[in-house]
Amino acid sequence: MSASQGMPAASPPGLSRGLLAALLTLVTGAVCLLLQGYAPWLVRFPEAWTLPTTELVGAGLDAFLSTIKPVMRAWSWLLSFPMSWANAVLVGSPWPLIIGAFTAAGWYLGGFRMAFLTFLGFGFVLLSGYWSESMNTLSLVSVSVPLAVLAGGSLGILANEVPRIRTALLATLDAMQTIPTFAYLTPLLLLFGFGPVVGLVASAIYAAPPMARNVILGLERVDPEVKEASIMSGAARWQQLFLVEIPAASQQIMVGVNQCLMASLSMVIIAAVIGGFNDIGWEVLLTMRKAQFGQAFLAGLVIVIFAIVIDRLSGSLALERRRHDRRVTWGLLLAGAVGAALLALTGADAAPGGVFSAAAVAVDDGLGAFTAAHGATLDGIKNSAMFYGLLPLRIGLDQAVLPFTWGFQWTAAMSLWLFGIAVLAGLALAATGRQMAGAGLVIAVGVVETGIADLPWPFVIVGTMALALLAQGFRLAVLSAALLGLVLISGLWDRALLSLYLSGAAVVACVIAGGVLGLLSAVSEFAWMIIRPVCDMLQTIPLFVFLIPTLMFFQIGEFSAFLAICAYAVVPMIRYTRHGLVSTPPEMLEAATSSGATPWQTMTDVRMPYAAPTILLGLNQTILYAFAMLVIAALIGTTGLGQSIYLALGQADVGLGVSAGAAMAILAFVADRLAQGFAEERRKALGL
Amino acid sequence: METGRGRGDTLISMAEQPAISVAGLWQVFGSDSASAFRRAQGEGGSARDIAGRLEEDGCIPAVRDACFEVAEGELFVIMGLSGSGKSTLLRGISRLVEPTAGHVSIEGEDVLAASKARMTELRRSRIGMVFQHFGLFPHMSVIDNVAFPLKVGGMGRRERHDKVQDIIEMVGLKGREGAYPRELSGGQRQRVGIARSLAGDCSVWFLDEPFSALDPLIRRQLQDEFLDIRARLNTTIVFITHDIAEALKLADRIAIMRDGEIVQIGTPADIVLHPVDDYVREFARDVVRGRHAKVGSIMRSDDNRAANGTPGLRPDMTLEDALATCMAHYEPVAVYDDGGNLLGTVDPQDIASALKADRA
Repeated sequence: MSASQGMPAASPPGLSRGLLAALLTLVTGAVCLLLQGYAPWLVRFPEAWTLPTTELVGAGLDAFLSTIKPVMRAWSWLLSFPMSWANAVLVGSPWPLIIGAFTAAGWYLGGFRMAFLTFLGFGFVLLSGYWSESMNTLSLVSVSVPLAVLAGGSLGILANEVPRIRTALLATLDAMQTIPTFAYLTPLLLLFGFGPVVGLVASAIYAAPPMARNVILGLERVDPEVKEASIMSGAARWQQLFLVEIPAASQQIMVGVNQCLMASLSMVIIAAVIGGFNDIGWEVLLTMRKAQFGQAFLAGLVIVIFAIVIDRLSGSLALERRRHDRRVTWGLLLAGAVGAALLALTGADAAPGGVFSAAAVAVDDGLGAFTAAHGATLDGIKNSAMFYGLLPLRIGLDQAVLPFTWGFQWTAAMSLWLFGIAVLAGLALAATGRQMAGAGLVIAVGVVETGIADLPWPFVIVGTMALALLAQGFRLAVLSAALLGLVLISGLWDRALLSLYLSGAAVVACVIAGGVLGLLSAVSEFAWMIIRPVCDMLQTIPLFVFLIPTLMFFQIGEFSAFLAICAYAVVPMIRYTRHGLVSTPPEMLEAATSSGATPWQTMTDVRMPYAAPTILLGLNQTILYAFAMLVIAALIGTTGLGQSIYLALGQADVGLGVSAGAAMAILAFVADRLAQGFAEERRKALGL
Repeated sequence: METGRGRGDTLISMAEQPAISVAGLWQVFGSDSASAFRRAQGEGGSARDIAGRLEEDGCIPAVRDACFEVAEGELFVIMGLSGSGKSTLLRGISRLVEPTAGHVSIEGEDVLAASKARMTELRRSRIGMVFQHFGLFPHMSVIDNVAFPLKVGGMGRRERHDKVQDIIEMVGLKGREGAYPRELSGGQRQRVGIARSLAGDCSVWFLDEPFSALDPLIRRQLQDEFLDIRARLNTTIVFITHDIAEALKLADRIAIMRDGEIVQIGTPADIVLHPVDDYVREFARDVVRGRHAKVGSIMRSDDNRAANGTPGLRPDMTLEDALATCMAHYEPVAVYDDGGNLLGTVDPQDIASALKADRA
């Protein structure tokens, strides 16, 4: 975490604000390390000082939840009706009818291409043998999405109509999206009991915010003259809203519906963790637990195909639609009905399937053979990444360097040497005018030597405050210190640092890999042609599915979790880097070229600085993605807050689940504000 | 403020009740602008003093103490550069924004005191408005856009579609009723905007830079059509523009605004020939004065010695035409009205000097 980005463009030479903050951080770290022999509390926050927050939160929430429980149970009862209806329709209908109906919808929305895609997708689902599981999932989605659309839409309209509550509402939406999904499964579990309703409600909660955001955005962006024209036509407020503003915002609202669908699908599958509903997510989990990776892969593929079809279908809702021949729509429906009738007449089995089960077994065997043959190589990759990358970052060089791994034992003298060299290099940098880089180097070396999990808590808090000060100012510094302090005294600090370590490592890896791939995509159209569909697909896949391939090759453990997080979180980094680099105004590039800059000089001196704010926003997204995935990755073995949240779910421990979820949200919130602050600062510095 | 009762005012009788009257209208933007305005006004002084105090308070006085009256059937143009507050003034009168202070009455009714429901009523039945960027509803066809004021007024589908046929024909969009705004050209879109504003049979018509977003050729065509429509409907019109040529071409009277203040109100000839200050003069500079100033504005009616009557000057002739007619004369030329009555004389010397008065 180098602070060198934060230097304001017009800072006076000498002790700038940034340098002061960096030095303060440095001194805090040094003092803590030096005094740790005399005052161990400076490094490890004593347990005696913590408050029993989790127990308090648990007791409070328990009391609250049990008071509203009867109402919620009534709700649950009400919801069970539409659910059983949807289920009856989707599972009960013969498959030719459903495939016909969806293909017809594909034609209606997007013509031949969409119809074909839908047909292929559903055909694959049918042949995979997971038809009824998929229909169960679909019926959950088909109930949760209208709920989310309705709730999100009403919230959006409310924010539009009552500007006073807008800020508060947006903050609530933020919270709904940053609090890890597993964390609110626990209280929901208490409220609704085991069963599909929990997944339904959780997915509605998770899917409502994107809907609300898009409604707010869409209504805001309606041309002011269009709004005025409806006023001057003598429309009453409700007429303005429903006859003019909402229809005029329909494209943006449809984007919301699309995001809502995807979020809901993703969450329905995650909610399978609590079981109770024979859906496709459960199938993945079950086969994964039984280490039938071929089957898990097949079920995962079904989810991916499902997600892609639903995404493309609903995505075309948001596009300007060309009219497609209605007769084809009816024809496709009819074909489905005829197929269903034929099926009924011949008395064939409900759904064929198992076509791929041989393939799944083959994949399983193949995989077994592959891992057996290349086990040493895979282990080699895993171990070197662990021993030389992740572990030093986690527990520090002083503990990670052992004869067994590195071939020698780390000694105190080595630490001294390392620090000495770092300080000298830092001073050398400072002497050449790059004081911030110097200070950053010394801090980075200190972090690697100590390990993130063993960092003294005053150092973390002071460092965060320093970054916040540079990113935005005093208010954010105080706020982040207060929030982190809350985590500290709640006794979740150690776990928070472990989460910070894993997501931090993943973010660093994503920044490097994503930055390089983004750069490549920016300079080569060909590279982008290949990378782009991969990015599209990675963003469509529900989080859960990322676990399957990493598990297949690297088994349960931190490294698999790390890979899954990287695979998910690298996408925004690639996208934003490319977008920032290619959106440099052409006249700026021409000016650079006519000044005699080589393409590489244009890249480093013009395009990269110009893209900096956009790239920082990408970093921000990457951080949030990493935190979101961290909790899911707890399923395959991580330590830290994610694990606590997952454990709490298993034990129905509301206190632990909610507190750990809140701690996670705090980390995500602080990281988010820091990255956004820096992006904003850069944008201002560039006058954008 | 100078309400500029120029010589041209004889054309318009102000004796009856004006269709629109605006008095002491202020539009102040900023946090807590209402109380800031009360404070600033409490300390007294001229409008300029009050505005100065408001600006010190961090408020933006976008319209400052606007006063004017528009007679029934008059075409009143408000002109100014962008940011001069002309659109804000119109939005205050139509209550698209709530004015900070002042008085507005339309056809005798105090608009600022009207309830929300009453305002809606007025907009359905009496006020029509056209917008610079058309403000068309993107999801409605041409006919649905035009019939929208009738729809919100509760008229049935068939009835309102029948009713707007004439209007659609009048603006030349017959045959395009089913098209959507995105399929129309800029000129056609504004025709839809005009038709929609007329659907409610309005008697007061607001146009906010209706032709500014159009190409020059289309603009001229629409200006001419607009004058035709106006002649047919005889509504009271407030027309906003930043284009002096457009203002001079269309207006009965022009109000010129600067920094939220109305600096001069007068007929086109007044503005061209007698600008009150350099700001107005600067506008008139680019104008070929001979095309806008009329003979009537320099005619001497006290000097009725029957001079040379042969060229047959009339008071509504432009100076350019008059000059061409009496090029050959060195003595005063007689001016007659349509009935052939002698009105006065014009000295060709005066024409020449009026034409070049500002060249310096």
